[in-house]
Amino acid sequence: MFLLILSYVSLFAFIFLSIYKAVQYGKMPMHGRLDLYPIPKEKGKGHYGGSYYEEVEWWKKPRETSLLEEIIDMLKEMLFIKKLFDNQRPLWWISYSLHLGIYLLFAWTALLFIGAITELAGLAMESGHWWAVLVYYTTFLTGTIGGLLVAFGSGALFLKRYLVPSFKKYTTVQEYFNLVFIFAVAATGLMVWTSDPGFNYGRHIAKSMLTFRPIEADAILSIHIILLGLLLIYIPLTKMSHYVGKYFSFHKVLWDNDPNLPGSEIDKKIKQAAGFKPKNNWSAPHYQPEPPKTQDM
Amino acid sequence: MINGKDLKPQDISKPVKQLTKIDKLMDLPAPYDKPGMEPELTEPKEEWAEKFCASLDGYIGLDTFETPKTKEEKEELVKKFLSGLEKMLSDETNRSIIQPLMLSLDYCAKCHTCSEACHIYAATDGNELYRPIFRSDILRRIVKKYFTKSGKLFGSLVGADIDLTWETVARLGELAYRCNLCRRCAQTCPLGLDNGVLAREIRKIFSQEMGIAPKPLHEKGTMLQLKTGSSTGITKPAFLDIIEFLEEDIEEKTGWNIKIPIDKKGADILLTHNAGEFMAWPENPIAFAILFEKAGINYTLSSDLIGYDNVNYGIWYDDAQAKKVAMQQFEAAKRLGVNKIVIAECGHAHKAAAVSADRMTTSDNKIPVESFLPMLAEIIKSGKLKLDPSKNNFPVTLHDPCNVVRQMGIVQPQREIIKAVCPQFREMTPHGVDNYCCGGGSGFAIMNSMNFGEFRNKVSTRMKFKQILDAFQDTIEDSSIPKYVCAPCSNCKGAIRDILEFYEVTAKFNVHYGGLVELVVNALADLEKPFLEFLHDDEA
Repeated sequence: MFLLILSYVSLFAFIFLSIYKAVQYGKMPMHGRLDLYPIPKEKGKGHYGGSYYEEVEWWKKPRETSLLEEIIDMLKEMLFIKKLFDNQRPLWWISYSLHLGIYLLFAWTALLFIGAITELAGLAMESGHWWAVLVYYTTFLTGTIGGLLVAFGSGALFLKRYLVPSFKKYTTVQEYFNLVFIFAVAATGLMVWTSDPGFNYGRHIAKSMLTFRPIEADAILSIHIILLGLLLIYIPLTKMSHYVGKYFSFHKVLWDNDPNLPGSEIDKKIKQAAGFKPKNNWSAPHYQPEPPKTQDM
Repeated sequence: MINGKDLKPQDISKPVKQLTKIDKLMDLPAPYDKPGMEPELTEPKEEWAEKFCASLDGYIGLDTFETPKTKEEKEELVKKFLSGLEKMLSDETNRSIIQPLMLSLDYCAKCHTCSEACHIYAATDGNELYRPIFRSDILRRIVKKYFTKSGKLFGSLVGADIDLTWETVARLGELAYRCNLCRRCAQTCPLGLDNGVLAREIRKIFSQEMGIAPKPLHEKGTMLQLKTGSSTGITKPAFLDIIEFLEEDIEEKTGWNIKIPIDKKGADILLTHNAGEFMAWPENPIAFAILFEKAGINYTLSSDLIGYDNVNYGIWYDDAQAKKVAMQQFEAAKRLGVNKIVIAECGHAHKAAAVSADRMTTSDNKIPVESFLPMLAEIIKSGKLKLDPSKNNFPVTLHDPCNVVRQMGIVQPQREIIKAVCPQFREMTPHGVDNYCCGGGSGFAIMNSMNFGEFRNKVSTRMKFKQILDAFQDTIEDSSIPKYVCAPCSNCKGAIRDILEFYEVTAKFNVHYGGLVELVVNALADLEKPFLEFLHDDEA
């Protein structure tokens, strides 16, 4: 029963803590503008880095933005880590292995639940039905490739950080630990997989979670579930939660070039913020109120 | 002294006289690839090193920071810095930046993608001191140690391993002035983080909490501007005299009698210049006057306090100063009743007025701000100016000011203009939003105390110098052919002027520099003699 509860707790903790973190960032006061071009949403101009400031009397013209261009650019970054690919190819190979592996394991997790529901509905994976075959093999492929990529990516990143002096001098013990932690989860998962290549154990866990029945696990599977559960709780507490930060740093900082025009949302926010009076102030002389002027005698 | 390649973030606290020095610089292209073509690096004078903080790399940017002598003074320095850090991290005292700041503090993956993007890191052949995250990581580790639970609980395991000594504080303050705030590194960061923001926050702690900022930026910069109207010290009567002189100069240069409108109520446009132009490059405001007159633009200059100087050095180091200057500029425009402010050739003034000041106040306290570039491009497209590009038949390259291009997204108009008037135009590599900073950004162009000019000329402008030489490789060694670096920004122009002087490029290879409007005026078909002085027969 412990493993079942841990599975629930870790999954909800991952979701809740990630959302909590996003809410914390979202609640921060509106900041000054830090536009950095190219901004992909600038319709017809994003590809070369242009903006509405290229127009005469831009404030009189309708603001033309392209959500599609923004989404395309966002997907390039999310799915392929394009900036790393463009600017630092040797690191991209291993970083992308890790990230692609994680994406595949997310798909694998979803497929495990789909497989579990399929079996609970009475269609066994061994039935030979096309749906069962499809679910079985996509689960097999995503799980196998994903696990191998995560193990390779985390292991290679650890070695790169440890062996390359320019990386080593900036890496903290915690950052090594993070990579070892991910590697340990992937390695134990692969150890379980060697004795059950079809991931039947995974569907069993999913079924247990869907039906509130205890998870049956041997020693290595128990260790894997415990490590994975702890990792899911740990990730949002660390900078590995950069999937949250990345949204804000691009969408809410570098790509936030909405101008402060009369009646705009920005203008409303500034008007609301105008009433804020800080209790504390900076100490330099030019931050202090000017003394009242006395009349010369 | 530690070798630049071996330096670690924790070394910032090491009790050594000087932490490191620059011992190798990026190679330059021909003809500067030969020995003896450039002045050597020098050591700081002993008396400077004693009085100021030369213990970082030997250079002194913070010329108002005298090293503390007594134990009490040293403790007070650390205490003040910590107090500033606390305010930096508070959404009460640092509201306008807290979200981007926390993101950049929290999420760096230390992937080093930013390093290759930095022109200073490249110029020093990869000296660790100038790696963009070297400074950021020191700040991050200090914040972790003194302001986070994990840092207090786990210490060095989580990177909370830099002790704050007075030397750490002093060196970090200097290190904040080894970054041009060009934000090219942020452009390449896979997580969208910004080392420029962190460098500026350190500058802010020094200025806003400790009252320490480079004299050219603060005392002779924003303070002087708020008091007299201009960081150049030009007062209203002096400004009016200068305008009279410019009108005479126009007549002398062109034979045209052009009146420059001042304080014209109800004009459509308030045109604002960097007041440094009036002193150092009067041909630039003259060129604007000629073009606006020829195009029939209804504009005015302002003689109001700060209305005649569009600079805003506050955006480089201090939020309050930035806001005070920006608000006074808007007020000057409001008093004239203009419809818009048009910023002339000053990059940081573009960003300060159009972008940085955009959310400093409600929309009813502002006047719309526009760059001169789209307007000039439209004037040229309209055919109002009769142009003869053959008058500019010499190699011309364009420097993209970071503030106008990367930080505002104005890329095409300047290219449309220059292509219309310069048949031998060639781009630098890279250019547009991927450009490199001139090396004078964030105040470096006007910081000349002690040996800081050497840092600028040898290090921070080195990549720009390389780009200029690369752009003119086909003609560089033929001194009979004039070459022109077009820099539509006063600070960039100042940095490029210094490169050309320091390396004797004008004297040896006939390379000149200037703004964009000068090229347009030089191409006016009805202009009898060249507007650009280096084209005069007696100059050749």
